Amino acid sequence: MKARQTVTLQLDGRPHELPSGTTLTELVASLGHAPNAVSTAINGVFVACGQRNDCVLQPGDAVLLFQPIVGG
Amino acid sequence: MNAPTASTSDDDPWRVGDITLRSRFLLGTAGYASPQLLFDAIVASQTQVATVGLKRTLAAAGDNGFVAMIRQALRETGARLLPNTAGCRTAREAVQLAQMARELYGTPWIKLEVVGDEHTLQPDPFELLAAATQLVRDGFTVFPYCTDDLVLCRRLLDAGCPLLMPWGAPIGSGQGLLNPFALRTLRERLPDATLIIDAGIGAPSHAAQALEMGFDAVLLNSAVAQAREPVAMARAFRQAIEAGRDAWRAGVMAAQDFAVASTPVGGEPVLLGGAA
Repeated sequence: MKARQTVTLQLDGRPHELPSGTTLTELVASLGHAPNAVSTAINGVFVACGQRNDCVLQPGDAVLLFQPIVGG
Repeated sequence: MNAPTASTSDDDPWRVGDITLRSRFLLGTAGYASPQLLFDAIVASQTQVATVGLKRTLAAAGDNGFVAMIRQALRETGARLLPNTAGCRTAREAVQLAQMARELYGTPWIKLEVVGDEHTLQPDPFELLAAATQLVRDGFTVFPYCTDDLVLCRRLLDAGCPLLMPWGAPIGSGQGLLNPFALRTLRERLPDATLIIDAGIGAPSHAAQALEMGFDAVLLNSAVAQAREPVAMARAFRQAIEAGRDAWRAGVMAAQDFAVASTPVGGEPVLLGGAA
């Protein structure tokens, strides 16, 4: 049986391995976040919630997730 | 800048675009000991604009309910959220973070922070202007945190910012209005601009001073959050801001270099004048 290929990306600065073909929507869900609870960027570029499903993660992608906090 | 007239604070609104506001007290939400304390401070301040931020999800675990409490307070008071771009060092970063803030908070309002010096947290005027220009094009209502440089402020207005937020002193320093001359110049040279003093205010007297000088509002955080009794301090700032605004509208007297007698006794000494 052929092993499923994986890709390694940088998730908030840390290596993160996931199956090849994973979308950003799937990554957010796999991390336990509700879709609207976080905002996302890949390689420094904002990816809107509605565009995550079209975004297949590539090896070496730098993915950042942001959430609301207090602020001044 | 409105011409000073007799006033009551209730009939003295100001505007950001189509939004009419009565409170001239914008309040930051960071640094409170508990969500309940933050909630009570928001209520006591009677603010209509509360600032919030964004963080990377792995940078720290959870927020202990603070954001939920902010949302609850705003639902109950009718206040609005003003997300910031704290932590950004370039225009590119700030533009991307602003897009995320708009998605997460559901508002086109953005407090634009682009810092150019780590020690003073002084805004980078070049990156700030570049980011403001782009964000206005993208439909944001940009609240730029800026220095008190007159030319920069003009450029930001030209870029489409509906207001300016010059610093009073470095963020969190509590030093008050360090350069009254520059701030007074801004007020005089930009008479029609909405000007909000942001950062550096440490005491209610600083806020009152800003309003007395004709600034339209103040934004502060640490002075309330770090008070021994934040709720009481929020109330004190609210009162000082209202007093300062009323003083501006009533007309603060011109300072004189020397004494000017106030009691109209005439030019002769009271006891010795005309003595035989």
